[in-house]
Amino acid sequence: MSSETTTGATDPSQSTVERLHVAGLHAPGDAVLSVRDLNVRFNTENGVVHAVRGIDFDLLPGRTLGIVGESGSGKSVTSLAIMGLLAPTAEVTGSVRLKGRELLGLSDKAMCEYRGNELAMVFQDPLSSLTPVFTVGTQIIEALTIHNPTMSKKAKEARAVELLAMVGIPSPKDRLKAFPHEFSGGMRQRVMIAIAIANNPRVLIADEPTTALDVTIQAQVLEVLHKAQEETGAAVVMITHDLGVVAGMADDIMVMYAGKPVETGAVDHIYYNPRMPYTMGLLGAVPRVDVAEKSSLVPIEGMPPNLLQAPTGCSFAPRCPLASDACLDGEPALAPVADDGLHRAACIKSDSLGGTVDVHDVFAAPPVPVSRFDAIPRAERATVLQLTDVRKHFPLTRGALIKRRIGTVKAVDGLSFDIREGECFSIVGESGSGKTTTLLEIMEFHPDQDGEVVIGGLSNKQAADAKTKGKMRRELQMVFQDPTGALDPRFTVYEVLAEPLQNAGMDRAAIKKRIMELMKLVGLQPDHVNRFPNQFSGGQRQRIGIARALAVNPKLVVLDEPVSALDVSVQAGVINLLDQLRAELGLSYLLVAHDLSVVRHISNRVAVMYLGKIVEIGAVDRVFDNPRHPYTRALLSAIPVPDPHLERTRERIILQGDLPSPLQAPKGCNFATRCPVFAALPPAKQEKCLTLEPLLEAAAPSAAVQVLQQAPVPVPDQQFACFYPDGEIDEDMLVVHEPADHLAP
Amino acid sequence: MLKYLAKRGITYVVMIFLTTSAGYFLAVSSLKPALLEQERIPRPTPEQVANSMRLKGLDPDLSPWERYVDWLTGIITRWDWGRSPNGAYINAEFGDRVWISTRLFLASIILTLVIGVALGVYSAARQYKFQDRVITSYSYLAYIVPAPIAYFLVQLGAININESVGDRIFFVTGISTPGVAPGWPQFADLMAHYVVPTVAITLVGWGAYQIAQRQYLLDNVNADFVRTARAKGLSRNQAIARHALRVSFIPVAQSIAFTIPAIFAGGFFAEKIFAWPGVGSWSIDAISLQDVNAATATLAYGSVIFALGAILADFATTLVDPRVRVQ
Amino acid sequence: MTNLNAVDPAAVAQDAHLESADVVIGKSTIIIRRFLRNKTAVTGLAIFVALTVFSFIGGFFTQWDKETIDPFNIGMPPSGEHYLGTSQAGIDLYAMTVEGTRISILIGLVVGLVSVLIAAVYGCSMAYFGGKVDKVMLFILEALIMMPALLVVAVATSGGGAGLKRDLPSWLLLIIVLLVFSWMGTARLIRSMSMSLMQRDFVKAAQYMGVPPRRIVWRHLVPNIGSLLILDITRGVTAAILAEVAFSFIGIGIKVPDVSLGVLIGQATSQVSTFPWMFWVPLTVMFLLTGSLAMMNDGLRDAFDPSSTSSGKAKKAKARTIRAEKKTP
Repeated sequence: MSSETTTGATDPSQSTVERLHVAGLHAPGDAVLSVRDLNVRFNTENGVVHAVRGIDFDLLPGRTLGIVGESGSGKSVTSLAIMGLLAPTAEVTGSVRLKGRELLGLSDKAMCEYRGNELAMVFQDPLSSLTPVFTVGTQIIEALTIHNPTMSKKAKEARAVELLAMVGIPSPKDRLKAFPHEFSGGMRQRVMIAIAIANNPRVLIADEPTTALDVTIQAQVLEVLHKAQEETGAAVVMITHDLGVVAGMADDIMVMYAGKPVETGAVDHIYYNPRMPYTMGLLGAVPRVDVAEKSSLVPIEGMPPNLLQAPTGCSFAPRCPLASDACLDGEPALAPVADDGLHRAACIKSDSLGGTVDVHDVFAAPPVPVSRFDAIPRAERATVLQLTDVRKHFPLTRGALIKRRIGTVKAVDGLSFDIREGECFSIVGESGSGKTTTLLEIMEFHPDQDGEVVIGGLSNKQAADAKTKGKMRRELQMVFQDPTGALDPRFTVYEVLAEPLQNAGMDRAAIKKRIMELMKLVGLQPDHVNRFPNQFSGGQRQRIGIARALAVNPKLVVLDEPVSALDVSVQAGVINLLDQLRAELGLSYLLVAHDLSVVRHISNRVAVMYLGKIVEIGAVDRVFDNPRHPYTRALLSAIPVPDPHLERTRERIILQGDLPSPLQAPKGCNFATRCPVFAALPPAKQEKCLTLEPLLEAAAPSAAVQVLQQAPVPVPDQQFACFYPDGEIDEDMLVVHEPADHLAP
Repeated sequence: MLKYLAKRGITYVVMIFLTTSAGYFLAVSSLKPALLEQERIPRPTPEQVANSMRLKGLDPDLSPWERYVDWLTGIITRWDWGRSPNGAYINAEFGDRVWISTRLFLASIILTLVIGVALGVYSAARQYKFQDRVITSYSYLAYIVPAPIAYFLVQLGAININESVGDRIFFVTGISTPGVAPGWPQFADLMAHYVVPTVAITLVGWGAYQIAQRQYLLDNVNADFVRTARAKGLSRNQAIARHALRVSFIPVAQSIAFTIPAIFAGGFFAEKIFAWPGVGSWSIDAISLQDVNAATATLAYGSVIFALGAILADFATTLVDPRVRVQ
Repeated sequence: MTNLNAVDPAAVAQDAHLESADVVIGKSTIIIRRFLRNKTAVTGLAIFVALTVFSFIGGFFTQWDKETIDPFNIGMPPSGEHYLGTSQAGIDLYAMTVEGTRISILIGLVVGLVSVLIAAVYGCSMAYFGGKVDKVMLFILEALIMMPALLVVAVATSGGGAGLKRDLPSWLLLIIVLLVFSWMGTARLIRSMSMSLMQRDFVKAAQYMGVPPRRIVWRHLVPNIGSLLILDITRGVTAAILAEVAFSFIGIGIKVPDVSLGVLIGQATSQVSTFPWMFWVPLTVMFLLTGSLAMMNDGLRDAFDPSSTSSGKAKKAKARTIRAEKKTP
């Protein structure tokens, strides 16, 4: 694939002045945005932090550049520097040219002419990025007014409606008067996009635009961005930590590490032929949702360097398995890679990392751990947790003095499943599907729960006295999503780990011994026990959380989004640890996660939840490779895969709208309102979906299969609740990107 | 919205009833007007005292509960808040004084709010600059001076000005000079009486608003939505003025609930020091005269002011914060 | 730490801090160090301590006491015999100031400490029990807020002939009434803070471990609202001293023969021009007292709260420690 968008187009050996000069004269004339030697320094109390250290790129109209990196890599600072939105104390040097006009050094006032006009930006957190006290309409119209003072009020309103319609907000005219808080996160992000494209920008910068959103909503928003780019012809800078998100969208990729681009090039080169160990590590650290193969993930040990001191060698060297003494001698420049002049990597060994080198050859991934339970058939293993018809209904009341019950929110509605020894069972679904409520019902074991929760043979019905409760507690421990919030900031690690042990009545000497064991078990240095949680990195904190859960030797560990708050490279380490602990200690896991790739990687069985009900359940490979329920199909289709070819060509199901409020759930199938299969059904068949509730049933092998196979076919471990499995998908909800979009020169 | 206000209103009525009743019991059990009567010269006999008290509905021989029932019946059936030991009717006395108090505070409350918020915004815009340090230090100073002493110092200052000029520019006590010709002279006289107390109350009051407004605005200056506004093409100052300012009003509006009663409480001191015969000075006099009914009435008045402040705050909050509107 | 944004240079700086922190420093040590580094706060503390000491031992430096009349020195300005002069009645002002300061500090400390204690118990109970109990307790609290404290003070301290009055000195009565009306604001704050703490994952984690509720309150809740409690104590002490002065000033707080700063100031208002020292001396002491408390409060708030912007200059010096604290609420 050829690309006119060039990154790092100048010879790095030249001096900065020369490069700037050359950039001004010889940058491709039609580049809308060209950045040269961008440097950003912050004066902090600890010294000068050099957050961005020399970035060059040219962006051509209609093209997309993906900037990929972990937190602290300087990617967001870069975008804000281009927009001129950094605090005045930040020192920005280099050159940023928009259609040949220099932007750096312009006053705030002068920048206003470009911001929101030719240069627009979409921010990460849609919840806080809109002013809460103004209507959505006011905020869109404001963007129009600033740059088109002469535009009539009517014209502006018409344009605002048009924009809202373009980003896919239903009944846009009425929604103009709505306030941001009346919109869901996905809707707000659409509004943000509408504001950004209001004045047909030439360059649109999107800074992690979908990170805070559910996968299905992420797919919608990415689609909106794609459409916005088509409509406006804008060049897009897409900033993300998720290699999957940009695989399908970007033409070029820039991988950043420690404030510097470490590898740049066309998207295919980066994904299929990475030449920098860090890029290889990043790709290897991400589990794939579309691959069943169970190999361990590649963790990148250590932490990114702080940017207070100028690195004397390669900044990745301390974490790089290939590092040699030569790597420490001066920071390698971004140099062309042998195979293609546009592909550049900042690694002295890039030439030896050609196409055939596998990431597993470079990074030492631990061996795939094998649990002693893996050999025993599932049916013969003991049950550690059993849920039978568990429900959690909240009354919804209205009325000032006398409360009237106007409905019931069925957060969890008749859930049944069991977890056997040594297995990992996952629950997936969008936020609001009832995953977390399910966990709470399990963890709190109220005796007045309608259904039954049996933990290690003890039912919640018997858990009236403290003693039984204590026994059940010891069987079951939890790891929380946010490792910072889950640790009392005033406790040292020792105190954190001692708490469950003291509670179990252990004596001091035994506690101390056990804590040292635990620290080693989760891969932390035992002599760090006197530190406070804030002295650890996110991944280490999560390890502490895991150690605490394991302290009392539980049989089952409940994991609530255990890696979603972590950087990808750190995430891999924690996932590997969980895998290894399960095998070594014979643990069972109940995992709740929105990241289906992680689920696929570590679970044995999976349940897909929608509005409080399980819509599909079964062995993870079976469900992921052969999803029957339309919701499962949509969910899986929404996950971006870090494989550019696949991303560009595959068809994806884009669900319409958000998760409906449980109050509006229809009588029949909950999913009917958004179902892509339902939409394609003839009305006669739709009737069935609307009136009857489908039950969770195993798929009977089709007649054809039975005829072919003489012997009775074993029923696969998969159940789903749909009348029309594998049904045809409505065309409106099916999107295939024209390959020409990306392959055109 | 109306429903919500109505609900709040009912809650407050119940609260006012409870606080007033509690106040009545406290007053009835600790204030003994009969004892004061006995110190008169010529000293009346205990029978005479009891008789006169009974006629005014202040029978000391009845139990507190019986007196409470009588008193409450009077209010509910006839809106009659009883009589003072000297025979005056509370209702009549009250009417005049409420007007005087309200006149004194209305201007101060508005000035306090406007000046406090304006200075808060001004000092936030000049954070850590000289003006900010002066204004904010002043506000902190106002916090450590008890209100009556501050009023007294302002009064002293006004007297000094009068003395140094050698003419009476400000009146430091009273509400008006008797016998001034109506029309312009009367208005001028009124103003001359008005200025010192109003200035005193305002000077003490705005500090809290200034500090709060400054802090809230600074909290919002770097908010995500301000960044969005700047990304649209507003300059930093425009974005702050149009977006951050409005949002920073929300907590200030909420705090009105506590400031209006606070100013009224300060009013007790102001009336006492500037000799304005309003509700505040009346209540303190009433207590020293062992006047149960007047004390209770002013207590009820105080509770009503608080409730009004709270409802006003609810109202102001809904005005500036759309998130509250949809309940 | 989320994997999402890198905008905050503080995060980068924090990582740097993590690497270099070899020695584990206790939280309280950090807070004390930071407090001590704040000159204003230390000055405030020094003044307050000095005044307290003065109010207890100051009496030994003079032969006069607050009741003895010196018939030869009536209404005299400060002199060698009467350090601060005498009143119109010939009573030594120095002796009265010592006594008055002691009473004012006593009222302030007792009210400040006890009201925060009441508030902590009340607020935590509301948050802990929740539901109906919370509703009823909140109603009582709001009703108490609605009561005009001033009037109740007036009624309680001037109730003629009430038995209560005869048995108790007026300062004790004032303490009781101030206590009744001083804890509600703090209680409400503590309630909302504990409620949000109860939602925090580390409290949930302890619950799921089966740690008994009492221990959760004691080990997790109390330490985490501790900074708030300490701040509210200094704030409460200041407020109580101010209230005493204000009430006594208009004649409804402390009653003669008890002496307090408010009484001294109040009595002297009519003689500002004739005996100015009678007014300005106690007023100055009061300013020193409330001012020193305000300075301490400011320093403490800065020491506890890393995001505080109240002292711009001191911030830079403290930055290192502040960054480390940033993650903690």
